[in-house]
Amino acid sequence: MIKSLSLVKILRQCSIRSIRHFETSTQPPPFSSDSTSNPISQQLPLIVNRQLEYPHVRYPPLQAWLETLGQKRDEKLGIVDLHPSIWQTSPRLDILYENIEWQKTYKKIDWAYTPPHHEYPSMRGKPWPQKGTGRARHSSRYDPQWKGGYKVNGPKGPTSFFYVLPKEKRIEGLCTALTVKLHQNDVHFVDSFDLPTHQPTYLQELTEDRFWGPSILFIDDTDIMPHNMMFASAKTEGFTVMPVYGLNVYSILKHTTLVLTIRALNKIEKKLLHALNSYDTQKDQPAPPDEP
Amino acid sequence: MPIERGLQYLRHMQRVTLKNLPMPLEKTDKWKKEHPDENTIKSIMSRKGPISRNSLPPYGIDPIQAEGRLPWILTVPKEPYYEGVEEARQYLPISLRTLQRLIDLRRINPDKPVDLPVLCNTKLFSIQPDQRQFGLQLTDEGADLFSTPINLEIQWVASELAIAAIERCGGVLTTRYFDPISLSALVDAKKFFERGEPIPRCDTPPINAIEYYTDPKQRGYLANPDLIREERQRLAQKYGYKLPDSSKLSPLFHLRKDPRQIFYGLEPGWLINLKDQTILKPTDNKYQTFYHS
Repeated sequence: MIKSLSLVKILRQCSIRSIRHFETSTQPPPFSSDSTSNPISQQLPLIVNRQLEYPHVRYPPLQAWLETLGQKRDEKLGIVDLHPSIWQTSPRLDILYENIEWQKTYKKIDWAYTPPHHEYPSMRGKPWPQKGTGRARHSSRYDPQWKGGYKVNGPKGPTSFFYVLPKEKRIEGLCTALTVKLHQNDVHFVDSFDLPTHQPTYLQELTEDRFWGPSILFIDDTDIMPHNMMFASAKTEGFTVMPVYGLNVYSILKHTTLVLTIRALNKIEKKLLHALNSYDTQKDQPAPPDEP
Repeated sequence: MPIERGLQYLRHMQRVTLKNLPMPLEKTDKWKKEHPDENTIKSIMSRKGPISRNSLPPYGIDPIQAEGRLPWILTVPKEPYYEGVEEARQYLPISLRTLQRLIDLRRINPDKPVDLPVLCNTKLFSIQPDQRQFGLQLTDEGADLFSTPINLEIQWVASELAIAAIERCGGVLTTRYFDPISLSALVDAKKFFERGEPIPRCDTPPINAIEYYTDPKQRGYLANPDLIREERQRLAQKYGYKLPDSSKLSPLFHLRKDPRQIFYGLEPGWLINLKDQTILKPTDNKYQTFYHS
């Protein structure tokens, strides 16, 4: 498998690309023994319990269905446990607003520039003498009251609106966005993104039957996607595919539904719980997660 | 529980989208109208006055109500060294020199206790109780000249030398407090008796004077007599004179007034009739308990 490893390295540096040679994802799913066989042939249910780190003091874990994209018929494969400090936080809409505003404005640069008076042509002379002509008295041609004159306190040069929202707010924004989606029935958990065909109609009909909304955000843990998935999502309007490191509040709220794989779920929970339970000093922090 | 209530609302309400989020209060036009920033205020305000000329008064003062002036309370200067002048007690000075002079000129009888009414009857001192004057104080001018034993009752003594000068000659000093009502009776005794009022009962001194009148060093009238005896010995050792024996003293020097008593020989509560030369005493239990307490 040397070919695949080198390709994996190249593609990690580039943006998301599809790989024609592989029909399935590069890594096998966590729980099934035979990667190529249809998961439905195995004994159900596949997952009932999931061990959670930093268990919450007050709330028990939430539960959600595990579904497939491998077949059109809506069959549930098991139950997934969810951590309440991510999926059951208070629905702080003001924090969501702040996150979205940050995402919009931190990239903004205002390029407006009005040159001041020393960058205008020379204004030595009076345009016409003080008295005698019937016109108003002026001292220079480029005064502010003139058309084409300089502006006194106008915008000066590129101004940036860059700022970094505090870490706690960004973390809490992600948690509230996920809770909001979950409690409004817009989150679905899937074993993997392996599709039987590359035809986009397959995915479209599947999602229509299940009422998954016009715009869907598919999230996987790595940025290498199976070819069928890539092709189908590229050809349909409203479907976006994203790795875990691209997760943001704006995208979550923009798309009507979220579809997560189990691997993505594990990664998200690991990262967020690590961030929620870490301290300020470097010394007291627990060990960082293995993968970036 | 607030979280569960919020999530309950989420389940029943519309989907949260980018356009559904509530704008923070500080960005609405209503808020901006009620809380204009500095530049909008300046553009609305007049071009004259302290705001436009950068001469605003210090923080805490409304420039519109002040009308360009500082408020009255800031224009009037503060004189903190006069703090407490309304409550301060005043004592008119009397020196040992004048005392000796009065005794030599036979205006004061040293064989009787020298008291405030005795000193006021000389008409040398005009004490006004309504001007916060509480009596007389003894100064130490003429300490070397003083040479008569007397039983003196004074309101304030500031120096040890004066006390020593009196006790060297064999005299006795006590400091006594009189409140303004009893003072007005003492200062002009005849006028008081002509008024026809019962003799008042003297009040206890105020809190900032209790420490003085219970101090044996100042010979306060509320101090312990044993401690006073000690202090007399101490002063004699300090200034180098010898105290006379207390057993050889005449009964004059043992005369002291009760803390409630104003006049020697007269109790509080008694009414004096100068015309008929009689004294009326109260018989009711109520008055007796009050005046004798």
